[in-house]
Order: sequence, then structure tokens, then C-alpha cells
Amino acid sequence: MTWTWFHRLGSPPYVYALAARLTPWFAWPAALLIVSGLYGGLVLAPPDYQQGDGFRIIYVHAPSAWMSLMVYTIMALAAAIGLIWRIKVAHAVAASCAPIGASFTFAALVTGALWGEPMWGTYWEWDPRLTSELILLFLYLGYMGLRAAVEDTQRADRASAVLAVVGVVNVPIIHYSVTWWNSLHQAPSVMRLGKPQMPASMLLPLLLMLLGFTLFFGAVLLVRLRGEVLDRERSASWVRQALHV
Amino acid sequence: MRTFLDMGGYAAYVWPAYVVTLAIVVLNIVWARRALSRSRAEALRRQGVRGEGA
Repeated sequence: MTWTWFHRLGSPPYVYALAARLTPWFAWPAALLIVSGLYGGLVLAPPDYQQGDGFRIIYVHAPSAWMSLMVYTIMALAAAIGLIWRIKVAHAVAASCAPIGASFTFAALVTGALWGEPMWGTYWEWDPRLTSELILLFLYLGYMGLRAAVEDTQRADRASAVLAVVGVVNVPIIHYSVTWWNSLHQAPSVMRLGKPQMPASMLLPLLLMLLGFTLFFGAVLLVRLRGEVLDRERSASWVRQALHV
Repeated sequence: MRTFLDMGGYAAYVWPAYVVTLAIVVLNIVWARRALSRSRAEALRRQGVRGEGA
């Protein structure tokens, strides 16, 4: 097996062109999956025997929460690769992740509050799961703030990468918070060993939404990545050609 | 339709949750496109400046 494809992923002009080509392959399936997931979740799935129709918040809450963790993990991985091998494109990936992850962390917190009020009787509680998720939002915002504060892109890349890598300890804390501590939040019902604790008519729309959001992240990441690559390559000669000047 | 919108009495929680999440989805598209065109404009400007100087 040759490693040329891997090396090419470190080449800005190659990645810039590849990202543009790949975007629709993520965007359209994402749209299809999200629309069918919404229909399945809001219309086809039966009401929950305890929570009635209130449980339908799961179809937007769980995918948002999944995004908050997945995007952070990818951001930290990309940042680590950028730090270790000094790959510009990896830093560009990390920088592209942050605003996406931050926005979905916000969505997870808001939809969680809207679910908590009718089921637990409170919008917010300083509970391990909720608090660690809020810290995740602050990590994203801290990462973005740090980047914005450092003028030089290369220095911003390195400084923010350290923050991203250190902050990744929070990801397993969030995931296992419901098992390690007494939490108001329920234990995982999909990402667990053995059978998910849901009938197929409830589970399938959730899986569609999870996959749809993941592909959506891919599409948005690819668009942002092109911008981040351009920011790092402004005066390179390939940019002129790529922008059809 | 009425019963659907009512969401078994949970309408005040279910619909705002969906609205917020879908708004975040749409905003992500808008923000990403805006960021790309900003970077593109900046790169074009740099390339233009370089071209004139050469």
C-alpha cells in the first residue's frame, strides 16, 4: 500500500479542491436523513409510555449532544496532529470544528433544559452531566476566543491546539458522568453494550438523525476548511488558480 | 393536525427544542458560507496586491 494519498491530505491545494468536490456528497445525504428522521421522530414514532410526546425532544437533543462530543474529539485529534507533525491542514481542520461544535453544544444545553423542565421539574441543575456539558461549551468558546486574540495564524494554531488537546479530558467525563455519579440525567439508551432500550419505531428515526447530523457536520466542516486553508495560504501561487483569477 | 401541534400537552417544550436546533443547523450553513466568502475575498485581495507589486 502506498501512502501518497495520506501525504496529499497535508497539501493545501489538494485539500482545498477535494473539500469542494466532497461537500455535496455530505450535504445531500445529510438533508435526506434529517428530513426523514424528523418525519419519523415527530410523526411515525409512538408516544413514550411515561413521557408521552415530550420524549420527542430526544430527536434533536441526542444528535446535538452527540455532535458536541464528536466534534470536540475530532478537533482535539486534528489539533494534536497539527502540533506533532506541524501540518497546516490539520490546524485548519481544528479551527473549522470549533464554531460548529460550540453551536451544537449550545443546542444540546437548550434542548436539554426544555426537556428537563417538564420531566425533572427544572430547566437547570448543577448536575455532573449538565455541568460538564456547560464546561464543554466554555472550552469551545475559550478556544475560539484564544484564536481571535492571537493575530498571527501560526501562533494562534499552536496556542489553541494546546487548549483543545488539554480540554479533551472533559469528553470522557461527560460521557461517563451519568454512570460515575448520581445524575438526574438518564443513562445512555443507544450507545450502550447490548440491545438499545427502545423499540425500532423510536430508535430508527434517532439513528437517522444521528447519522444525518454527522454528515451535516462533514459538509459544514468542508466548507469552513476551504476558508481556513485559504487564510493560511493567502499569498501562495496555487490560490490564484484555485480562485480563478 | 391540532393534536399533532399540541404534542400531548408538551408543545411548549417540544417545538422550541426543534426550532432552536433547526435554527442552529441553518445558521451553521449561513456562517460557514459567510466565513468562506470572507476568506476568499481576503485571499483575492492579497493576490491582487501581490500582482500589482510584481
